[in-house]
Amino acid sequence: MEHNWDFSAVFANKQLLLIGLQNTIVLGALCLCLGLFFGLFVGAARYSRMRAFNWPATAFVEVFRNTPVLVQIMWFFFAFPIISPFEINAFTAAALGLTLNTTAFSSEIYRAGIQSIHKGQWEAAKAIGMGYVQQMRRIILPQAIKRMIPAFMNRAVELMKMTSLASVIAYGELMHQAKTISTIEFNPIEMYTAVAIIFFIMIYPAAMLVQRFEEQLRARE
Amino acid sequence: MGYEWDFGIVFRDFDLLLLGLVNTLKVTGLALLFGVPLGLVLALSRLYGNWAIRLPVGIIIEFLRSTPPIAQLFWFFFALPILVGIEMDPFRASVLTFSLQSSAFFAEVFRGGIVSIDKGQWEAAKAIGMDRSRTLRRIILPQAVKRMIPAFLERAIELMKTTTLVGTISYADLLYQANNIAQSTYRSLEVFTIAASIYFVVIFACSIGVRRIERHMARSGETTAH
Repeated sequence: MEHNWDFSAVFANKQLLLIGLQNTIVLGALCLCLGLFFGLFVGAARYSRMRAFNWPATAFVEVFRNTPVLVQIMWFFFAFPIISPFEINAFTAAALGLTLNTTAFSSEIYRAGIQSIHKGQWEAAKAIGMGYVQQMRRIILPQAIKRMIPAFMNRAVELMKMTSLASVIAYGELMHQAKTISTIEFNPIEMYTAVAIIFFIMIYPAAMLVQRFEEQLRARE
Repeated sequence: MGYEWDFGIVFRDFDLLLLGLVNTLKVTGLALLFGVPLGLVLALSRLYGNWAIRLPVGIIIEFLRSTPPIAQLFWFFFALPILVGIEMDPFRASVLTFSLQSSAFFAEVFRGGIVSIDKGQWEAAKAIGMDRSRTLRRIILPQAVKRMIPAFLERAIELMKTTTLVGTISYADLLYQANNIAQSTYRSLEVFTIAASIYFVVIFACSIGVRRIERHMARSGETTAH
């Protein structure tokens, strides 16, 4: 069977795809920022020796790392609204799921990064009279973050791929726009091919950058 | 907030959820069965093929790794059948997608493991008269595979999580069943919570197993290369 490739309907719907792309980027960027921010605190709590911090943080991380992210998004969309005090739409549900998932994974990156710093650094900082927060902010984190960067970039790559799951709850990101267009124009072949290429162009450079960065870091240490 | 939880309704349909779990495991298992050997083939072609093999294989691997699995699944389910004129059902599309998708990741695990083996091993094998394919089979792969085990298992867990997508093309996995039950009982809070718990129990158990193996291997000096 010979198929005549015809991308004209894809280009005719450029505007819809651009909106989808914009939504994908907004969702991905927002969840990345929030996830990295909260992840620091959850990571610190995981690192803490106090049970009141350690246990809930551990439970949170294990739950979000050991359930599929689509289940998390669906839970926030279909189940959570019943007990939620505020309105949940597709965007908030997807943002909640993806943010908490990224928080859990990035907290582990922070934890591993902080653990990789030699104990002498803590002791030296303490010896010159720094408190915990100061030790963390001035001495430990600046050194640790450099080592964490490839892992964080990896997270960002994974997150960009995961944003496509928001299409399942009909949030108008790229994948969802493609699905809609392909049912109107009857062009699933061209449409899904185009979307795969758009995602590839977005994600592959980042993935390559991660690899390059990792190699550099390995060569330096 | 006075919501009254009612799990009774969910437990009446519990066997449907378990049926879904079986389907989840079926897709995961088959994808592993096809994905791992294919990954080895891809890795070897990328490492030792001439450029006419290396280039397309590299592109395939990078493409599968850098696009969302849902885009791949939709492509194989909606686009491929029209393109090549074959019958496609949700089950076949799922197995095909996840076999290929995971093979790309397994290829990178294989490659990482193989290049992590010291060059001296190749030289020693050559010195006792082994050719390249024999060295690979007898000396390099057995050592590399041992180092890769934790990375493999982690990938397998990731795969199981990713298979939740098959519900979007209405293959009746656990999440799909949960969605159906939720729609017919109006008890989405309970149903989705139970479904999430089932996933958690299965995946967490696997994760703990993997961590154990990792620790055991780290102690015996076989550190992983991923």
